[in-house]
Amino acid sequence: MKLELDVLKKIRFFDDYSEKQLETIAGMSSIKEFKVKDILFEQYDELTDVYVLLEGCLSLGISLAKEKRIHLGTLEEGQLFSWSAVFSPHISTAWVMATCPTKVLAIDARKLNLEIEKDCGFGLKTMTKIAQTISHRLSDTRFQLMNQLTL
Amino acid sequence: MLNNKNIYKPIRAKLTDIIDESSFIKTFVLIPEEEFSFKTGQFIELSVDGIGEAPFTPSSSPLVTEQLEVTVMKTGYVTEYMHMMKPGEYMGIRGPYGRGYPVEKFFGKEVLILGGGCGLAPIRSLLYALEAVKDKLVKVILCYGSKTPADCIYKPLFDRLNRTDKFETYRTVDKADEGWDGSVGVATSLLNKIRINIRNAIAVVCGPPIMMKFGTIRLLEMGYPEHDIYLSMEKNMSCGLGKCGHCMMGEFFVCKDGPVFTYSELKSTPDIWK
Repeated sequence: MKLELDVLKKIRFFDDYSEKQLETIAGMSSIKEFKVKDILFEQYDELTDVYVLLEGCLSLGISLAKEKRIHLGTLEEGQLFSWSAVFSPHISTAWVMATCPTKVLAIDARKLNLEIEKDCGFGLKTMTKIAQTISHRLSDTRFQLMNQLTL
Repeated sequence: MLNNKNIYKPIRAKLTDIIDESSFIKTFVLIPEEEFSFKTGQFIELSVDGIGEAPFTPSSSPLVTEQLEVTVMKTGYVTEYMHMMKPGEYMGIRGPYGRGYPVEKFFGKEVLILGGGCGLAPIRSLLYALEAVKDKLVKVILCYGSKTPADCIYKPLFDRLNRTDKFETYRTVDKADEGWDGSVGVATSLLNKIRINIRNAIAVVCGPPIMMKFGTIRLLEMGYPEHDIYLSMEKNMSCGLGKCGHCMMGEFFVCKDGPVFTYSELKSTPDIWK
């Protein structure tokens, strides 16, 4: 599916990217669609794409054992996930499943890493935003853990 | 001239209706026997003869003066007794006390309200106040988290506000049930969903201390200036007059100097999230 630049312009993650940088992202991205109960990836899967939820609903969780899925929460539209694809060993720390028909932006992580190495400005911006995403996820998880302890 | 009015004497108020909000939260509709008004965010001391009194922030509109609504979570001796009361009985009201929300400072701005649990009670009063001046606001976004869908209070309020111009509401639950198809996660996770112009926005945070802590940290990360984050501090207010010291927090008496503070006022105060 050909990616329109307007799709990227609507995503908050890319708010301060230049037109040229968005074109670079568009060149390494595609839109993927998933049906209800489709698993985008399992925990411990090797990841090749970084995703941004465009439309639909996704659940995220961890598995303690086979058949034992723990649902941690939902992802919100515009949210970046599957960031492990950017970092070695590229192994997912969680599973993600579609709970309604869903569209995601899939960015090729290998190409993204090459661009990060090539263009320092782009690289710093992208890594900073991914770090913020991880920081927020960590903060939410701590908050959630404290809430669970009092449930 | 000496004022002989007893500042500790409550006004009698007749309980006219009781609304079950959840299994442990009820809203009491009261008609005071004397004229009574409050500013949104101010609190009152609600009492039952022979039982005791406890502080609450009214959950009704500050523009409605003939009756008052107070939402009470069953947490202790006094509130347990209140939950057993019936329409027709009487309660006592002292107040209003403290500093409420400076609504006029919100004019021309985007207002983000982050709430959790029973923190929605004071927020409902603020929402009514903001609704009345919505022409002077850019927009109002409410992000609210409850533990379960059943714990979410004022459900019709969300539906109504979503149909109201300039208002957006988002809900999440910590733990979903069969019928819930909305967001699952803590209240701060909803901040991934919203779009707000931080340069022209203020934020209000009200809820359990843990939510206020994580919520405030996230707002600061988003770029909110410290003086544009308003916190509704629900501490152990007792006298309401800055005399007894029960609610002291650093240099502040929450009952007199608050309960609404900006984060910049409180940031140096030790243990503000306890």
